[in-house]
Amino acid sequence: MTVTMPLHPGPPDATPDVLNRMTTGNAEADYILGGGFPANSINIIMGHPGSGKTIFAEQLMFANAAGDRPILYFTTLSEPLAKVVRYVQDFAFYDETKLGTQVIFEDVGPQLARDGAPALIPLLETAIKTLSPSVIVIDSFKAVHDLAPSVAERRRMVYDMTALLSAYGTTAFLLGEYTEDDILVYPEFAVADGIVEMSRRRLGNRDERYFRVYKLRGSQYLEGAHAFRIAASGLDIYPRLVSPKIPTGYEPATERLSTGVKGLDDMLDGGVWRGTTTLLAGPSGAGKTTIGLQFALEGASKGESTLYMNFQENPTQLVRTIRGLGFDPDEVQARGLELVYASPVELQIDSIIVDMFRRIRERRVRRVVIDALGDLASAATDPQRLHDYLYALVQHFAASTITSILNLEVVSGATSGLSIQNAMSYLSDNVLLLSLDGDDRTRRRIRVLKTRGSAHDTRVREVEITGAGLRVMSQS
Amino acid sequence: MLIAERDARTRDLQRFFLERAGFVVEFADDGQAAFVRAVAMVPDLVITEILITPVDGLTLCRQLRAHPQTSAIPVVVFSLLSAAARATEAGAHVFLRKPMVESTFVGAVESLMAAQPTHGADPS
Repeated sequence: MTVTMPLHPGPPDATPDVLNRMTTGNAEADYILGGGFPANSINIIMGHPGSGKTIFAEQLMFANAAGDRPILYFTTLSEPLAKVVRYVQDFAFYDETKLGTQVIFEDVGPQLARDGAPALIPLLETAIKTLSPSVIVIDSFKAVHDLAPSVAERRRMVYDMTALLSAYGTTAFLLGEYTEDDILVYPEFAVADGIVEMSRRRLGNRDERYFRVYKLRGSQYLEGAHAFRIAASGLDIYPRLVSPKIPTGYEPATERLSTGVKGLDDMLDGGVWRGTTTLLAGPSGAGKTTIGLQFALEGASKGESTLYMNFQENPTQLVRTIRGLGFDPDEVQARGLELVYASPVELQIDSIIVDMFRRIRERRVRRVVIDALGDLASAATDPQRLHDYLYALVQHFAASTITSILNLEVVSGATSGLSIQNAMSYLSDNVLLLSLDGDDRTRRRIRVLKTRGSAHDTRVREVEITGAGLRVMSQS
Repeated sequence: MLIAERDARTRDLQRFFLERAGFVVEFADDGQAAFVRAVAMVPDLVITEILITPVDGLTLCRQLRAHPQTSAIPVVVFSLLSAAARATEAGAHVFLRKPMVESTFVGAVESLMAAQPTHGADPS
């Protein structure tokens, strides 16, 4: 099976092609799993009620429903079959022509309730002998497990089931409302070839959901928590951004680019090196957005594909600003400038990053402005996760020789942006600091704190913003 | 046909699927017992796992090939091991990797039986 990853900057190491793999029906999940689940494996999909386990399994079922071997879904004692079938019809992957022939739903709850956990084994035997299913989903397996009155009986049931499912060529998925603690206790986790967790946590008025692979035998999967959301198409999964594998022959670019800001290129010893990242920090109103826009417009005016990601001003407002700088918005957008507005309140950092890289790849973007990092930070609930993302982001830009400006709002006396600034200062190639000075805080100044490979101007320089944009004054 | 197989679940599935296809099956626990039984009954087909000590399935293959009574019996090696080349080298006609998929397993047996000059008819 060929796995393509359309929404992510780079794949993990390819899994050696020893095992046949089965698609999940979700390109991003396949990517995370190193190509999908190994065929003929036993896998546990764990998570709290409402975490998306059943939807994930159903998408996988319909994606694999082809050929003469059906997909079998056993519902046990958690969710009535009527509800399962009712809600699956709301999803785009649902195909009623496959229902009953290639996808078979069966309610085995009554037999299990009557005869106990061991009744699962003859039910599976009969299903294998009569239907020859290529995939068997048991939802919920934990409910079956809980029917067993003793540890010994649970272990015997799991052993018998494993022996049967191992003897026959079928891929099994055991769904259950397990917790992480159960992994060490429940025998099914010891025999499982794969363990995937789907979790959900509340964050203010929204929920964050994560997909995580705990174990997948014979596979090089992408570790960590990957954000996802439930959509009409099934699950939208955003694989965690990891640092790129920089090719052995990778060398920094040797071309300088103009920032588009008069006087700033001179401070930078002739502009910024292509493929470098510049952190532009300063308080609100100091000119960060203007510099970012000028940098983006400079790229577009030279025909470079340029992406301007911003989280504060919608495209209408930005178009007005661009016009104010003397550019024709339609023309610069036709020449390669893309303005993207994303609300950090509504999105997770994962989805924003995946969307950004999709645009970068599709349009072969050469310049990026992110305005501003603080907004991106507000879309990340975990500081470590944010730092990991920013690190990987800068590495990807460098590996792809994308030249970027990352704006960061810093409030005088506040510490909220400082941790990001500290982290980004050592990650970035160049660091520029804007300030508002004077009693009335109207004197705009700029200072180059750091460059790599440049003899930059170390002086504090005055800047002014006019109708033509921001420029660095010749005298400090 | 004679099957050398130890795993109870696999035996059960083999018996079920082959009998449903019209074949009569007999089982042996290991290669040694399977060889003795093969010489005695001269089955139409032998199916063997490799992992059936003390005499493994590949040794069984070679013994069957070397004995005048059994040298013409087709052999299917059906194993957990990825050992197609070794199975062929030992004289197996067909190698199948576990786990079992009914259509592949029964299909291979039926094809092999159909190719035998004296056993190519309808198994039923």
